Amino acid sequence: MLKKWDIILIALLICLSFLPELLIGSKQTEQYSTTYAEITLNGRLYKTVPLSSHHGITEFTITTEQGINVVEIKDAAIAIIDADCPDHICINMGFIEKPGQIIVCLPHKLMIEVKTNGTTNKDDIIPAF
Amino acid sequence: MNKTFHTVFLGLLIAQSLALFVIEGMIPVPFIAPGAKLGLANLITVIALYTMPHWRDALLVLLVRIMLATMFGGGPTIFIYSLAGGLLSFTAMLTIRKLGKSKLSIIGVSAVGAFFHNVGQLAVAVTVIQSTLLWLYLPVLALVGIVTGIAIGFVANLTVPHIKKLPGFANWRTDTI
Repeated sequence: MLKKWDIILIALLICLSFLPELLIGSKQTEQYSTTYAEITLNGRLYKTVPLSSHHGITEFTITTEQGINVVEIKDAAIAIIDADCPDHICINMGFIEKPGQIIVCLPHKLMIEVKTNGTTNKDDIIPAF
Repeated sequence: MNKTFHTVFLGLLIAQSLALFVIEGMIPVPFIAPGAKLGLANLITVIALYTMPHWRDALLVLLVRIMLATMFGGGPTIFIYSLAGGLLSFTAMLTIRKLGKSKLSIIGVSAVGAFFHNVGQLAVAVTVIQSTLLWLYLPVLALVGIVTGIAIGFVANLTVPHIKKLPGFANWRTDTI
């Protein structure tokens, strides 16, 4: 049955799982002015769409060699609402709108990442003396 | 050891792990994290690791299962993910069992396997998408994996002693604890 070292090992693994968070964790800025979504296919930039300045509902389809993904932008949030990939994980991820959030469709090698430009976070300003 | 028993037992394990893989695909799992799975087929890999005379037999069970699972509704993409996750997970389990010796139970070894299965699959996903941001899914994926890994280790822990009662194991030297 469960031994002492099992518990130590499991605790260690849980700590280890947060390693990426420490190394590449997004510098979450609470205050951001404008957001946009970057859509990449196969690691290459496919399209950039503004989010924070967007109102209403826009829909468009991304067609790749592997299949299609239907993207919907509702006000400042973006989601994949339909796709012909086998797992539909991208649809399940729902709407995203905060910088650093991502939607991924692995079978289609597609990624949507919310980014921000012009942060107005005061913490970012480090005095030069 | 009896060669016939060895072959039959190997075949049984492969068939069981393939069946578990197919059944798992039919069970609706709530969406917790992208790609989170129960990993039922890993139960057989763990059992093989603790019952077969040599780790090479367990590796064979894993590899044949992955190949068959690819044919039974995976496709080439799934194959690469399964292979990367499976091999890394297997290597990790083998190493930690050697290092842990009697200090570790099957539960710990299985949890390590589940954790590294996620690491392997994420590594492939990161390469495919070419964005390191995907690594940020590791905490939630690993946590789900560790929980299912513990459950699988628990079941394996209950099963292995009974399997060893089979007459074929009578004069069978296993390098397990």
